[in-house]
Amino acid sequence: MKRNWFLYFFKKSVSQRKGRIIIASLSVMLAVAIVTGLFGITSGIKDKLGSELKAYGANVIVTSGKGEYLDYDLLERILNLDGVEHALGQVLGQAFIKKESVEVIGLEMGSMRESGWRLDGSWPQNEREIIAGNNLKEALQIKQGENISLQNEGRNLELTVSGFIERGGPEDNAFIVSIPQAWELMGIEGKLSVFLLRNKSGDLDKISSRIQNMLPEASVKTLRQVAVAEASLLGKMQMLMILVTVVVFFAAVVSIMSTMGANVLERREEIGLMKAIGATRNNIRIFYIAEALIIGLTGGAAGFLLGYLFTQAVSWGAFDSFIKVPLYLSLLSVAVGVIISLIASHFPVGDALKYNPAVILREE
Amino acid sequence: MSLIEVKNVIKEYETAHALRGVSMDVDKGQWVNIMGASGSGKSTLLNIIGGLDNASSGDVLINSTNIESLTEDELALFRREKVGFIFQQSHLIPYLTALENVMLAQYFHSLADENEAAEALKRVGLGQRLKHRPSQLSGGEQQRICIARALINSPEILLADEPTGNLDRENTKIILELLKSLHNEDHFTIVLVTHDPFVSGWGERTLMMEDGHITGDEVIKERDQGN
Ligand SMILES: Nc1ncnc2c1ncn2[C@@H]1O[C@H](COP(=O)(O)OP(=O)(O)OP(=O)(O)O)[C@@H](O)[C@H]1O
Ligand SMILES: [Mg+2]
Repeated sequence: MKRNWFLYFFKKSVSQRKGRIIIASLSVMLAVAIVTGLFGITSGIKDKLGSELKAYGANVIVTSGKGEYLDYDLLERILNLDGVEHALGQVLGQAFIKKESVEVIGLEMGSMRESGWRLDGSWPQNEREIIAGNNLKEALQIKQGENISLQNEGRNLELTVSGFIERGGPEDNAFIVSIPQAWELMGIEGKLSVFLLRNKSGDLDKISSRIQNMLPEASVKTLRQVAVAEASLLGKMQMLMILVTVVVFFAAVVSIMSTMGANVLERREEIGLMKAIGATRNNIRIFYIAEALIIGLTGGAAGFLLGYLFTQAVSWGAFDSFIKVPLYLSLLSVAVGVIISLIASHFPVGDALKYNPAVILREE
Repeated sequence: MSLIEVKNVIKEYETAHALRGVSMDVDKGQWVNIMGASGSGKSTLLNIIGGLDNASSGDVLINSTNIESLTEDELALFRREKVGFIFQQSHLIPYLTALENVMLAQYFHSLADENEAAEALKRVGLGQRLKHRPSQLSGGEQQRICIARALINSPEILLADEPTGNLDRENTKIILELLKSLHNEDHFTIVLVTHDPFVSGWGERTLMMEDGHITGDEVIKERDQGN
């Protein structure tokens, strides 16, 4: 059997310094975890930018002022405008269930079915059935098929929960009812809180200014305006993120540099001896590169896992939902770990290879 | 033509003149000792002959190749092919066994071969110590591993810098007898540095050094190697 002697001697030499390698690997892990966590969170927030509109395939949102409503008839008129392809209305309100306050969203059930959200259970079959956001399942201890009653200012609606929906948005914490059910509950007829419009993307600004003229009291925003407002906050977060990344990166490099520096200093004699028996600088360098790779790979992978958990913990706390962390981030994390480790090793190892063996080998 | 030709080699350090113009030749297969007081430049000369260090000026020809004009990597290849070193300190790698220490030299030369390395250790009388770490062996045994390591790739030149400097008389004798019998079998060239007159009793020729100069060159007859 042919052995790989490089691996053989490499393992021997590495097993000598497990402690050092673990410490270096831990500094890579912490750095990668922090960077991954920050990237994961911002990428999650980015996904959520304008998500209220995107979820319904809309690109303009019209909202009434607080406590006021938009007329249902207006929706028809807007739909007839040039360039408007699709229009949806929603009623937003509050109700009490077992003395707890919950959000209620009234919308056209058909539009939800088309949006492809994950439904656990079945869609409402009659006017008594409704859907609940997935988070209510635990919060209110309700089950599929359970009868509930929603109250609003003396009005009382007996309803049955036919299914649960999960989207990663405010719907997850609300009861989703049909528009007539919402009217009945709120005691309003023919009123809507929000219009969600899909328009030809070319004339978005033109259409939204025409709607604004029709409804001077309402606020009309395009998807981009909504996203930009949210993005400016994100931008500030990203600045902070870059700053933290730089600092963390720097700290990790310094820490590994000193570990590696101590490592090669300790092995001066070995390096001198290897040179004396005919090893070239590259013959020796490859041992340290391999070591740096191990530190980078293990630290990077562990750092990604830690960062991933951190991201999900933060996201759960902040948005009540998990973030979809893109796959490339795991590869990127490991790559960052390897890069940190290689950069940090470069200088001490370079110095070590410059040692004059004649000088080292005369030392006691 | 001589195997080793040193021509007017000068080695200057910022604080010292280690070699002040040294010229010497060594024939193929010869065993030459270099003797001299501490600081006379013996180690410096040996390291320059072995391509472990560079001269400040002058030429060192090995097989007519001027090694002073080689690059660092070419020097590494020169050492791996032509030279075996033994030092006063064994410079064995502490976490490798005797066998693995010898195999490391094979690995950097070409291919590690466990059987061949074990054979080499048997030749120096360590056939029963293959799996021992250096710390588990006596000073004399450690130096014998070094001899096996230095000779494993069949170098033309064995350079030994005070190889018995840390050993008692008895072990010194064992090492020198061992070198003598290996030299008789394989006919490699030996340059051995010592300041111990007892040691210079072995070998065929002794060069004397003083303050960076060669001051004597004496051919040794067979001598009483006892005591
Ligand atoms: N790297 C160095 N830097 C400065 N001076 C040095 C260096 N190496 C050797 N020297 C000096 O060069 C001179 C010769 O040193 P060398 O080691 O060759 O002597 P040596 O004959 O081997 O002595 P010893 O018997 O003590 O080993 C000494 O004066 C020494 O101090
Ligand atoms: Mg010396």
